[in-house]
Amino acid sequence: MKTLFSDLYKKANTGFWPIVIAFVFMIVGTVTLFQNPRSLGSFLVLMTTPVILYFMKMPMKIKVFIGLLIVVIILPVIGIKNIFILEVIFQMAVFAALALGLNIVIGMAGLLDLGYVAFYAVGAYAWAIFGSKQMSLLYSIPGAAPANAEFFLDARWFWLFLFLGIGLAALTGILLGLPVLRVKGDYLAIVTLGFGEVIRVLALNLDKPINLTNGPQGITPIQRPPLPPEGVLMFFRSFLEPLVGHEVSDAEFYNVMFYFLALIIIAIVIVVATRLEDSRIGRAWTAIREDETAAIAMGIPLVKMKLAAFAAGASFAGAMGALYAANRTFVSPETFSFQVSIGVLTMVILGGLGSIPGVIFGASAVTLLNIQILQNLSLYLSDLRQSDAVIPIINFAWKDLSNQLDPAKYQKLVFGIILILMMIFRPSGLIPAERRQRELGEEKE
Amino acid sequence: MALLQTNNVVKRFGGLIAVNKMTFSVDAGKIVSIIGPNGAGKTTFFNTLTGIYTPEEGQIQFKDHSLIGLRPDQVAATGIARTFQNIRLFGSMTVLENILVGMHIQLKQNAVDTIFRSKKFHEEEKDAEQRAKELMAFVGLKNVGNELARNLPYGGQRRIEIARALAATPTLLLLDEPTAGMNPNESEDAIKLFRRIRDEKGITILMIEHDMRVVMGISEHISVMDYGEKIAEGSPAEIRSNQRVIEAYLGRGAAVAHEQKA
Amino acid sequence: MKQIAANPVYKFFLFPIGQILLFALGASVVLSLATVLLAYLFKFNVTDFDLVERTMLLLPQVIINGLTIGFVYSTIALGYTMVYGVLEFINFSHSEIFMVGGIVGIQLMAYFEHIGVLATMNEYLVITLAILLALVVSGALAVTVERVAYKPLRGAPKLVPLISAIGMSFFLQDIVRLILSLTTGEFNVILPKFGTFDEFWKIAIPGMEEPLRIQTKSVLIVGVAMLMLVILNFLVNGTKVGKAIRAVAQDRPSASLMGINVNQIISITFLIGGALGGAAGVLFALKATKLDPFSGFFPGLKAFTSAVLGGIGNLTGALLGGLVLGLLESFSASYLGIFTNGAFGAEYKDIFAFAVLIIVLIFRPSGLLGQTVGQKV
Repeated sequence: MKTLFSDLYKKANTGFWPIVIAFVFMIVGTVTLFQNPRSLGSFLVLMTTPVILYFMKMPMKIKVFIGLLIVVIILPVIGIKNIFILEVIFQMAVFAALALGLNIVIGMAGLLDLGYVAFYAVGAYAWAIFGSKQMSLLYSIPGAAPANAEFFLDARWFWLFLFLGIGLAALTGILLGLPVLRVKGDYLAIVTLGFGEVIRVLALNLDKPINLTNGPQGITPIQRPPLPPEGVLMFFRSFLEPLVGHEVSDAEFYNVMFYFLALIIIAIVIVVATRLEDSRIGRAWTAIREDETAAIAMGIPLVKMKLAAFAAGASFAGAMGALYAANRTFVSPETFSFQVSIGVLTMVILGGLGSIPGVIFGASAVTLLNIQILQNLSLYLSDLRQSDAVIPIINFAWKDLSNQLDPAKYQKLVFGIILILMMIFRPSGLIPAERRQRELGEEKE
Repeated sequence: MALLQTNNVVKRFGGLIAVNKMTFSVDAGKIVSIIGPNGAGKTTFFNTLTGIYTPEEGQIQFKDHSLIGLRPDQVAATGIARTFQNIRLFGSMTVLENILVGMHIQLKQNAVDTIFRSKKFHEEEKDAEQRAKELMAFVGLKNVGNELARNLPYGGQRRIEIARALAATPTLLLLDEPTAGMNPNESEDAIKLFRRIRDEKGITILMIEHDMRVVMGISEHISVMDYGEKIAEGSPAEIRSNQRVIEAYLGRGAAVAHEQKA
Repeated sequence: MKQIAANPVYKFFLFPIGQILLFALGASVVLSLATVLLAYLFKFNVTDFDLVERTMLLLPQVIINGLTIGFVYSTIALGYTMVYGVLEFINFSHSEIFMVGGIVGIQLMAYFEHIGVLATMNEYLVITLAILLALVVSGALAVTVERVAYKPLRGAPKLVPLISAIGMSFFLQDIVRLILSLTTGEFNVILPKFGTFDEFWKIAIPGMEEPLRIQTKSVLIVGVAMLMLVILNFLVNGTKVGKAIRAVAQDRPSASLMGINVNQIISITFLIGGALGGAAGVLFALKATKLDPFSGFFPGLKAFTSAVLGGIGNLTGALLGGLVLGLLESFSASYLGIFTNGAFGAEYKDIFAFAVLIIVLIFRPSGLLGQTVGQKV
């Protein structure tokens, strides 16, 4: 059976076949999504196309062409018909960036950071505090905001805060790292976990003595970066509206804008991560992961390089934090719980420690699982509960199924199972890291 | 003047004195060996030299730096490279990458060069790759640049470890039992390699070695350690006839090697 | 002198109890003195009342609260430290083993209530049964978890079993939630009211207006925890199995060569650690009166901190670490608000433990009672 499948794959992976397959997946996905924008199956078919592009042999130009076609045209257009699709992709991009950042720390440098969410929180709160009315409310009690409070900064400052978020998160990473990185191996996991909790507890309680974070209620509304000028929007309307068949609202434009912003950031993050990996810095990180004693004997300053890894990983999270705050227009401490850190860890482990394509795949898969598949399963079960259906052999009526059984609420269970199974059966992940092969002009025997 | 000079170096672990008042020197351009029975404190002494341990007492002078209180990476930056008793390669990196890690100190690319792939970055990487290829050829490895280090046979791994150390362009190379586990033919090749390192690259070599054929065949100066102390030093001929050395080794297997040679 | 030391009554009973009391007293005194000193320093900050006087007044109550929770932490910490001693591995899911013990204990009491016998049963019998059940369930669960999620990973790089343990921790939290939800319809479990545990002993202290109030269950918690610690001490230091555990902890390959069944010893270590954690869960439940599947997380982290604070791998250290951390937490919860005039309060007590952890790891990574281990090159 297995050989039959691999033979088939080998045959399909030659000549024009890969291109044909990629096109078929893209077109089937697109057409069915156009008819039913809420179909999970069609969405999965469409999202398989990038995986095909990655794995199968075809000319680079065609890969780029199909990829751009999906990302720049198909997804935004379908996304306007069903906003949820853009939301899913936005979240995938956010988590992929987080996972790529964590991958630098864990996958490349081998430092288990369980408080990674803290850096995400720093970026998010940075814009949340300055991009909302919070700065005018510093001396008022949470919940009792005066009516005349004003936004502290203009929405355009967001662009600066995207960079400030990076810088602040990196700085936090260094400040945390300085004391903590002397700690060895597995202790580091617990200490960083503690640090993540410290940041969350601070966000929860810094509504006094001055009201910086507005406590458990969180900060809202946070400003979004302004839309492009009306002229540009008109231009897009002129060809988008015939395609989607209705007027495109500002809210929909915001979604498209955030979608593209997330894609641009993730593209930059991928480039930066790839370039760092294949350089003196990345090699030093891997050397530290493999053998600290040998690495330091080669002249690699351990603490400095570990700090660099912390800062680099943190900076990705900081950028995405600021973007996330603006997208949601709301932050609260609960967004930055330990569960998020473990969720991101699960993405990295599932995809493959140290493997950039793996980590992107892991982030996409876990995000999709979380916000689409589990949700759909919950909906499906609740539909079954309302029906008269019975499970045949054991004669169990779906009606009697406890309504506590709600898969969407059991993310921890899913994370837990993924982590355990991956560690036991495939510790290097679904798409394991590969070292770059160089043209060395050596003869292969 | 001596390239490396230690003075009364003492390293203790709790009550145990692992290295006791080692006064020792290595002249530039020489091949020097430290021998001694197992547990004599040779590797501890190496680790004290390279900054892994900080000695409780004594001075270590290398060229015109004092090495006391330096971290291992700082020691490496002064021009001392080393290999390890139980090979410590970066197993999941390729052979080429292992050697490139050895060049860490020389490479000057920073984060900005790396992210923007500046001209400097490309030139430096190309140059480093070229040097790495030369080093692989120098230690006698062919067609292995893209192999993962852990996939190489034992002898190959020993060679990569030496190539990685040489990549740092050291003045002094410390080899910790470099021929352990090798058969006589391989040891013979290793001796030739060590000579070439000294003769062609002008690198001074200090090694710990158990194989008396290697030690006597290559060393120009030998120090003998026992119970953390230096009990003898001199030329191979002097060591061979030194009564204290024979006593230290007596009944410990190595005495046999001694007799065979003598 | 030697004869006294070899006497089993002394060795396994008097000595450990003496040690526990000494630690409790010592830690209380040191922290009290430090706090009073701080009170003098912060006096200027508080104008409404005399800070030093207020501090002194609160002190006995704070110490009792601290010791109560401290003994719970010590009992959990022993599980972390034993496993670390044997496998050099942070058993991340130990906090869930602890939580399961607590929930199982409460569920047993709830069951007694349900069938209508709780009110008529002897209250101490109820507690004993709950603890025994928790010992068995948590011990068995710990062994199972080891078999399933850790044993296949022995010999893998250190991060691998640790990540598996994190996964196990999440898995257990949600699986317990699922089971509770499906069987009872909700996942909070509440300690039924019974017996006289909530009552207070009032002890008049000369020179004080208010008598010192000690809740019966505080005494019970401390008493049971001390009993557990004494039993553990006997198990580890007085039996053949204990000797084998110590041998495996010191040098696994050699122990194996000496004919010790290492796998069995590792299982026993998990069994003992898990059982202790389960018992601690019931004690914690008595104090907290309400548990949910996520209740194990913070006590677990603090117990781990205790183990590190005392010197991980060191049983006596775990005991001392737990007491110190419990007291620190109680002191910070009570005094932080008073000293800073309300700017910061008890809500920071959870992160106080992490501050302690970080400080210990930086300045004394081997803990209060640990020894530094040289790195092998």
